[in-house]
Amino acid sequence: MSPSTVRAVLSGHGILGLAFAAIIYLVCLTGTLAVFAHDIARWEQPDAPSTTMLVPGALDRAVRSAQASGPTHATLYVSLPSRAEPEAGIIAYTPALHREWAADRNGTLTERQTPIADFLVDLHVALHLPRAWGGFIVGLTGVALLSSLISGILAHPRIFKDAFHLRRGGARRLQEADMHNRLGIWALPFHVAIALTGALLGLSTLIVGVLAMLLYRGDTAKVYGLFTEAPPAANATTAPLPPLEPLLAQARHRSGRTEPIQIIIERAGRADARITVTSRRDRLLVPQDMMIFDVRGRVVKDQHPADLALGTRMLGGIGQLHFGWFGGLPVRLLYGLLGLALCIVTSSGVTIWLARRRDRGRAVPLWERLWAGVTWGQPLALALTGITGLVAPAQGGFLVWVWLAITAGSLIIAGAAKGFDASNGAARVRHLAAISILALALVYLLTRQIGLSGMAVELALLVGVGLLLRHPATKHRREGQTAR
Amino acid sequence: MTALAALVAVIGGLAGATLLRRAWEDRQRERVGLIVSGWAALAGTVLLDAAWAGWVKGSAVAVAGIGLAALIVVVQGRTVRAARAARSTSLAPEPLEGPSKAWRGWLKALLAGPLGMTAAMGIAFCYATWAPGDPRTRIIVGGLLMPVVWALAMTWTLADQRLLRSLAVLLGTTVAGFTLAAMRGLV
Repeated sequence: MSPSTVRAVLSGHGILGLAFAAIIYLVCLTGTLAVFAHDIARWEQPDAPSTTMLVPGALDRAVRSAQASGPTHATLYVSLPSRAEPEAGIIAYTPALHREWAADRNGTLTERQTPIADFLVDLHVALHLPRAWGGFIVGLTGVALLSSLISGILAHPRIFKDAFHLRRGGARRLQEADMHNRLGIWALPFHVAIALTGALLGLSTLIVGVLAMLLYRGDTAKVYGLFTEAPPAANATTAPLPPLEPLLAQARHRSGRTEPIQIIIERAGRADARITVTSRRDRLLVPQDMMIFDVRGRVVKDQHPADLALGTRMLGGIGQLHFGWFGGLPVRLLYGLLGLALCIVTSSGVTIWLARRRDRGRAVPLWERLWAGVTWGQPLALALTGITGLVAPAQGGFLVWVWLAITAGSLIIAGAAKGFDASNGAARVRHLAAISILALALVYLLTRQIGLSGMAVELALLVGVGLLLRHPATKHRREGQTAR
Repeated sequence: MTALAALVAVIGGLAGATLLRRAWEDRQRERVGLIVSGWAALAGTVLLDAAWAGWVKGSAVAVAGIGLAALIVVVQGRTVRAARAARSTSLAPEPLEGPSKAWRGWLKALLAGPLGMTAAMGIAFCYATWAPGDPRTRIIVGGLLMPVVWALAMTWTLADQRLLRSLAVLLGTTVAGFTLAAMRGLV
């Protein structure tokens, strides 16, 4: 590419980055935390039962309890425990309301109360806005991130020659540029996959809506119907559910080397009830074995990976690939670290622009302070929201207002505080964020009984505190020396 | 199984990235052998994980593990220098800067945003309706195409100074894409 084209692309990269930086940063930060949503849920409710297996009869007992306690006509989603995921749970879902329980090995239910994990996932997925609007904004953010990645690559003519250059301690702009480019390039396939799948997940409502308008006179059910089983003929006569354990045994027997992981029960208590058992295979990203039973326990449909269209298999994998929930803790850790890298790429992109302006004598101190307010204000806001969630777990709906107030407060204070320059201000907000995360860890110790999962999250919080308190650049080595 | 695949990915990534770093360290001559070995190590790691843990699952783990391993090699090889005043010029390319009119900014936003989106939808729906294969696969591939094409349109329109050309292409793509999709329907 000609130098002028490179400069034009770089200009577009800058405009796009600046326009979407704050929201990309927020979505990436909450997304990084959402990877650990299940770990956070176990941490905030340590008394929720955990089990690797259910005793005979426990499954039916748990389902009957959920049926009795949940909203009427709810669809029940039963997660079965395994050694990899030692948790049995039931969600009773209706479009208006849902309840969620964890089951112990005997099938006794404990209501789940995980406001912090729910808050984080909702913030990441739809910014706590109505789903269609929030999803669209997050999807648009994914497109902007994808475009920034494309323009970032195009604007980097020496991509391979510079692939391992990381200079620390010199001019701020060069430091940040090296960090931005190296983290952006080496984790590029991950960044692209996350941005693309996130964009599709966010924009799916819009895509389906427009496709339905174009082809089916606005009937979105016809588009969704291509991917879901048609409902059975209605029959509201009362009928008990069949025993579930024989159905699981049958699913295991018919599918060979698979492990049932979920049961979906629709129209429970009626003669037209439908029970779907989904099973997992080790080498597949998502479960693709499914057996459907009727209310008498007869097999209605037996489906295996070879029976599925490629599109249906892809659809199932998009969410798993995006959140990194498919391979246990090792994959979550990889996703978490690369997610943090994406947060740093976003943050350093704006810092480079600000430093360039300062180098040229056109500093924008207000924007420097505001960006410090975003970068370090968000960990602060999330930590204080977490403390609120620990102290008042029953007030889950209140958390979004706490987060909003702290976000607005940190931006107003950063914007109005003209007394200190941006680097001092950033250091102060960073230290505040570290103290608030430490406070989160301490409040946990005061309000919860600590278990193994609790200890892991506490340790992660303390590592976070240590990193935030650490001085960003070491200066004791001379230029040209390599840190080995 | 996945833990082992992640470990293989990190080890293979460390090996491949180390070879590539050595190859590119020497700016005076091309070290083709090292470059080929480095890329081969990375590709071999992806293939090994894919064959071991499943094509999609294994590849996803490998890509994430290699990314992390390469970043470890980058951080390990960092150069630390004494802080000094910034230079006024840099060897790195600088973005185009200059006076810009407000209407151009608004038009660029319109092109990169709504028009880019509709053009991308036009192409995605055109694919979903005209491409061969199962309609579910066409819809999902079309759905994946939409953000990619929109992102490309954003990149292009924000970099291109000829706004009327961008406007014509995006409008034309939108009209053609939607018309063709409506004509065909989901067969």
